[in-house]
Amino acid sequence: MKHRILAFVLVCALVFGLSTSAAAQTYRFQLPKEEVHVYWNSDGTVAVDYQFTFLNDVSADPIDFVDVGLPNGSYDFGTIQADVNGKPVRVTSDYQGDGPYGVAVELGNQAIQPGKTGTVHVYIGKIERMYYPDSKDETYASGEFSPTWFGAQYVSGNTDLSVIFHLPQGVQAEEPRYHLPTNWPGTQEPAFGFDADGRVTYTWRSTQANGYTQYTFGASYPAKYLPEDAIVRTTFLDLLLGGLAALFGLIARLLPFCCFGVFFFGLPVLTAVQEHRRKKQYIPPKISIEGHGIKRGLTAVEAAILMGQPLEKVMQMILFGVVKKGAAQVEKRDPLELSVADPLPEGLREYEKDFLEAFRRPQLSVRRELLRDMTVRLVKSVTEKMKGFSGKETIEYYKSINEKAWRQIEAAGTPEVKSQMFEEALEWTMLDKDYDDRARRVFTGPVYVPTWWGRYDPVFRSSTAASAPSAAGGGFNLGSGRGSALPGAELAASIVTSTQNFAQRVLGGNFTESVTKVTNPPPPPSRSGSYRSGGGGCACACACAGCACACAGGGR
Amino acid sequence: MNLFERIKTFFTPVQPLPAATYHYQSPPEDKQPYRLHLRLNQDGSGILIVNASTVLHLNPTAAEFALHFIHGAAPAQAAQQIARRYRISKSQAEKDYLDFMERIETLIHKEDLDPISYLDFERVTPNSAQLTAPLRLDCALTYRLPLNADPLNAPTKRVERELNTQEWFSILDKAWAYGVPHIVFTGGEPTLREDLPELIARAEKNGQVCGLLTDGHRLADKAYLDTLLETGLDHLMLVLPSTGQPNWQALQNALVADIFLAVHLTVTPQNVTTVSSLMKQLHQAGIEAMSLSISDQTLHDELSALRDLAGELGMRLVFDLPVPYSAANPVALEVLGQDVPSGAGKAWLYIEPDGDVLPAQGMAHVVLGNILRDPWDKIYHP
Repeated sequence: MKHRILAFVLVCALVFGLSTSAAAQTYRFQLPKEEVHVYWNSDGTVAVDYQFTFLNDVSADPIDFVDVGLPNGSYDFGTIQADVNGKPVRVTSDYQGDGPYGVAVELGNQAIQPGKTGTVHVYIGKIERMYYPDSKDETYASGEFSPTWFGAQYVSGNTDLSVIFHLPQGVQAEEPRYHLPTNWPGTQEPAFGFDADGRVTYTWRSTQANGYTQYTFGASYPAKYLPEDAIVRTTFLDLLLGGLAALFGLIARLLPFCCFGVFFFGLPVLTAVQEHRRKKQYIPPKISIEGHGIKRGLTAVEAAILMGQPLEKVMQMILFGVVKKGAAQVEKRDPLELSVADPLPEGLREYEKDFLEAFRRPQLSVRRELLRDMTVRLVKSVTEKMKGFSGKETIEYYKSINEKAWRQIEAAGTPEVKSQMFEEALEWTMLDKDYDDRARRVFTGPVYVPTWWGRYDPVFRSSTAASAPSAAGGGFNLGSGRGSALPGAELAASIVTSTQNFAQRVLGGNFTESVTKVTNPPPPPSRSGSYRSGGGGCACACACAGCACACAGGGR
Repeated sequence: MNLFERIKTFFTPVQPLPAATYHYQSPPEDKQPYRLHLRLNQDGSGILIVNASTVLHLNPTAAEFALHFIHGAAPAQAAQQIARRYRISKSQAEKDYLDFMERIETLIHKEDLDPISYLDFERVTPNSAQLTAPLRLDCALTYRLPLNADPLNAPTKRVERELNTQEWFSILDKAWAYGVPHIVFTGGEPTLREDLPELIARAEKNGQVCGLLTDGHRLADKAYLDTLLETGLDHLMLVLPSTGQPNWQALQNALVADIFLAVHLTVTPQNVTTVSSLMKQLHQAGIEAMSLSISDQTLHDELSALRDLAGELGMRLVFDLPVPYSAANPVALEVLGQDVPSGAGKAWLYIEPDGDVLPAQGMAHVVLGNILRDPWDKIYHP
């Protein structure tokens, strides 16, 4: 049932106070969680209890003030309390947010530092003049409430927002009626329940809310549960006085027309003031795109492409992949020569097959061309896989996988376990941009090399009388020296040197450019080309999927 | 505007722009043609849809910028309008407008770019935002099928009659009036309706993006395909038989036509072992976009592998169109359990051949009303 109420919306405007001294500060944060309890009390007052969880941006200033707007001036300042992470903080009347009424919460030494999370709790114990007659049923009273919101320039991301109405004591389960919320991304119908005091509750919850939109919720219930004088009624006298006030206001505005002196001096000022008043508040344009979050299931090689890792490192990862799978054996490290298994083992990725095909060709120029084509296909493939998913969130996800892989290796109790974990997570650890340093830090002692290491390192193979090509089943056999050890630094250096050789001896100087010419071509001229310069031809520094070159996009 | 109106305006607070739908189609000579639909909501916010597929949610300022963009306003002109309505200087408004244009144009022209990382867009979960009307209407023109049709494509609900051409015209017009920018004609086999070109032309005339799902049997006749293209068909999906060979002639005709083409294949226990080789064949033939679904949930792992194969072949995955088992598509299965709302009944509606409205194809048990007989408010309340 849709209810209209008489000219009443309880609006709490919450904005960060930008006092003169703080005007130059940068506030930027997320509001991952917010819980608001609104107690519609049977004595005709309302209490509001906010619990905000802020995540301050790493590059922002500390959150030191929170201005809490209030719906009217009929609140009891003495009932307002606030704390940050359970530690009480000061509340003052130095409110500098939007709207005429409000209080400021001073976080003081509990200020939420950049990159940190903090929970701010604000309790307003008594607000009067909150109940209005219900326009559909004169025996009902109604109230609406908008939880606080922030300026869109300050807050980003989704908020898990819960708004819980506690209806007056005595209201029976079948009596109340909820109002359809406005702007609400969640289910329109609230969850019905009872609180610990047996009061009927309405709960609206959505994980898709945000901190910058005004959501309005409301409920109606029998007026008999409230004192008669608690309901704000608009009388004829109110309307008459309101009308007279408006009339005098208009006359006052038009008065300058009657006065010559004011005509020249006062009118432009009043015009400017009136123009300012009639205009809407400007909030910078904000665009949100529909899409999914993390794309899971990428291989380490695909993740490396997405993260814009150097192509020589990507090649090295593919090389490890095919060697591990028994599809190839390194015959010579510098220049790199492989012998490729025939037939190929099962389970190879398309890019691994392309890679091996390139190394079947003895001529370097042909090999480079095939590797370039393989890389272009790989970038396009990752781009297609990422369609509809967030690159940003996915990159963060794979960074966390990389970090997790390293932590597990670091936490391993014995060299054997450490080596085994290293083998399992080798490609994931290579996603680390400081791979070399980290590997040296982690592997201080001897490392038991993986079983396939002999296929990767011809010198090691000859020294350990390692594996020979196997005719059975396709691929090379896996027997090779588990139990053989290398100094950790030597192992790390071996990988890094091999990667460098890839860059210098296999790919050549302009390999990345030859790829990005295809994967990141200059943008076409824009419709607004007459207003701005279009993008020129350029080469990108990386060949990541879904990424922009510094020069792409018309000179951004 | 007379003096009285001027004075009245002077004392009237600026109101949001009226709720309406706007359409822009790039000129034919544009190397990368595109279409934009802007839906302005009553609260001033808006939805901008790029090529009927990319959905952007705009705050009121961005929505006004988008309207100027669609009208092709010069930055100075747009900035002047914005500065008249908002507390902002003209120079700042112009700067913001240029930035807005650049981001939208980059999104349009560089599809492969990640808009969240590089264009500073925020992400919202698909189908989570409030809508005033669906973004797509799937119109099942008939439930008839050609002889020897794949039984997998047979609809689950029979209807007593088919709407006539005029009735479909009124549905398309009504949808446009409510701001539905995208129409997909499906069936049964929609090409069995002789008035299909007329219906496409009507949607095109309205400004709606128009797609067709067909088994392709009539597209082997190139003249027929040309007729559809000339009337304004924007995208085409050929639903391949679950067993046997596709209609290669129809595919060939569609491939050389100037239209966005995708194919759909339902993976079944019977064909699962042959799908990957068929996909490679299709890719070699030039197919760049593909839709996949599974008839049996036990094929989940196989579908994941086929999704990866599509990526490795560079084939774009298309999903959420009213194909058989459309809910069991690779993306839907991938985000299963992530609290992603369904678009059925919200972002899209499905009209049966008699005008009954379902939330989506295959949901014959949920009839929301009849689009010709029932008021819109009864049918659509997401």
